[in-house]
Amino acid sequence: MSCTCNDNNESIFMPQVAEILDAQMITSTEKHFKLKLQNGERFDYEPGQIVEAGIFGYGEVPLGLASSPTNGDSFELVVRVMGKVTKAMASLEKGDTMTIRGPLGNGFPVDEFKGQDVLIVAGGIGLCPVRSMIEYILHHRDDFGKFTLFFGAKTPSDLLFEEDLEAWRCDSCMQYMDTVDTPDSAWKGNVGVITTLFEHTKEITAETRVIICGPPIMYKFVISELDKMGVSRANIYVDLERRMKCGVGKCGHCQINDKYVCMDGPVFRYSDIETLEEAI
Amino acid sequence: MKSYFLSDQNLTAFVEGLMSKYPVIAPVAKRSRFVFDTLVDVSELRLDYDTTILPPKKVFFPAKQDLIHFDKDGFTSAIDPKEQVLLGAHPHDIKGIAMSDIFYSDRQYDNNYMANRKATIIIGCSVQNHYKHAFFGTMNANRPLTGHDLFMTKIEGGYAVDALSEKGEALIALGTFTDAGDAQVAAATEVNKKAEENCPEKLNGTAEEIREKVRSSFDSPVWEECAEKCFSCGSCNIVCCTCYCFDVQDEWNVDGASGTRFRLWDACLTTEFSEVTSPGGSENFREERAERYRHRFMRKAAYLNEQLGGPACTGCGRCSGACTADIANPATVINKILEQ
Repeated sequence: MSCTCNDNNESIFMPQVAEILDAQMITSTEKHFKLKLQNGERFDYEPGQIVEAGIFGYGEVPLGLASSPTNGDSFELVVRVMGKVTKAMASLEKGDTMTIRGPLGNGFPVDEFKGQDVLIVAGGIGLCPVRSMIEYILHHRDDFGKFTLFFGAKTPSDLLFEEDLEAWRCDSCMQYMDTVDTPDSAWKGNVGVITTLFEHTKEITAETRVIICGPPIMYKFVISELDKMGVSRANIYVDLERRMKCGVGKCGHCQINDKYVCMDGPVFRYSDIETLEEAI
Repeated sequence: MKSYFLSDQNLTAFVEGLMSKYPVIAPVAKRSRFVFDTLVDVSELRLDYDTTILPPKKVFFPAKQDLIHFDKDGFTSAIDPKEQVLLGAHPHDIKGIAMSDIFYSDRQYDNNYMANRKATIIIGCSVQNHYKHAFFGTMNANRPLTGHDLFMTKIEGGYAVDALSEKGEALIALGTFTDAGDAQVAAATEVNKKAEENCPEKLNGTAEEIREKVRSSFDSPVWEECAEKCFSCGSCNIVCCTCYCFDVQDEWNVDGASGTRFRLWDACLTTEFSEVTSPGGSENFREERAERYRHRFMRKAAYLNEQLGGPACTGCGRCSGACTADIANPATVINKILEQ
């Protein structure tokens, strides 16, 4: 194991300050922030990596980066307004600041996806962290094979990034399909859990590289479908959520066996963790 | 390494010498038990203690530790190490500190712990009285004793004192020491050997057997059986010398404009430890108390083995004594698994 030893008193808890360039509620509970580091430096990261975003006096929350690092100097986060910290974040607007620690953890191994067909399966706000990879693929479209995106939400009003969804739906460079568990009267698309989308595509082969991110219950059902299609478990990457307080492999909350989700994940090759109890 | 002899008569003057230069944190009596506390008067020192309620990790990693101070203009790191002496740590507690050093320096270097650790001189002492739950003679007994500066072994007429570092050697000038004779060195070796042999509780397996058997018992009914009485209180975590998990919280000062981000000892046995909020409720990745109970044993016996080269347990026995339901004793539980 490597050690970032230092003899000065630098603290792994000291964040950077980021200025909010734009802030929008995108559903009744999700707020979308576009940010830039206040010191003018570029915030560099890999798709799939996470940050601890915070407000002093309230705390920090772990969030997946919701935009591609190819987007220039700014980066995006989506906060689900649930607890003390995220409620405080909901009141932040353009021009305000929040703190950022990171990037933390391991992102998607982009090089292993290059030249391959890609399927991304996102459930609910699981779309936010994988949006970093979706945008990356679309920005480097020629580097990847066929690109399929499945997105499932509880209801049509839970669909995030509606402008993106519309653009992806019309994009001939990718196959985008979505589904909702409970439709409203205007919904004309697929109804059912996300695995019902598999019967509508013929693009998935044993060699397809797959990313899964969504609510905990979703993973095993999606993996079961992929098993049926003969997709190698070494080609499946799961992006996991856990409680995290430090983000740097110390506080213990995100531990799964001998792995720390904040350090060894949040992106794991499924074949590396399939035997670890409590992972999926 | 050089060995000295400090007579019983000269102990007081030596400790007063230490106290004149540093804050000295040492075992003192607290009602019927002992605690590590800053010595105010040398007469409080109890090197004959059996164990302390909390392990000496609190010297480097207090139960509540400030991380960052903030106000409307900005924020600053709270790291502010003070030179101090930890006097009277038992060998197994020194091993526990060495394990914590690995946890806090490996991969990401945590100066909030390490700065305090590096500013602390550690003087170990031999076990004169056993805690009734101790099993350090059969848990990590072969793990090398490292990281301390002096080690004092009670022998007839005084203490055989090993100087193990430059910092330790420098302390010798604060007292009246003589060079230890061969017989005194041999007596000290025998005292420490006997302390291990005389532990009231014993584990029956090697570190490797413990790792393999505990790891492969993941689906054993033993966890459910033991956890049936668990109150999920986390006392076993809090008194553990190798537990290092924490929560991070913010609090405002009364001015409403400044405040502190701090960390608090946390406990994986508590219900909310692995819980995340989700729409309409929460998702708990270890919802059942048997899962949390098992996690603690897995972590101690198996998960952290690769990082430490052995179990994350020192056999101090504090968890056994702290557990209201009397289900936390690692010797009992691990022996039971080894017999399966």
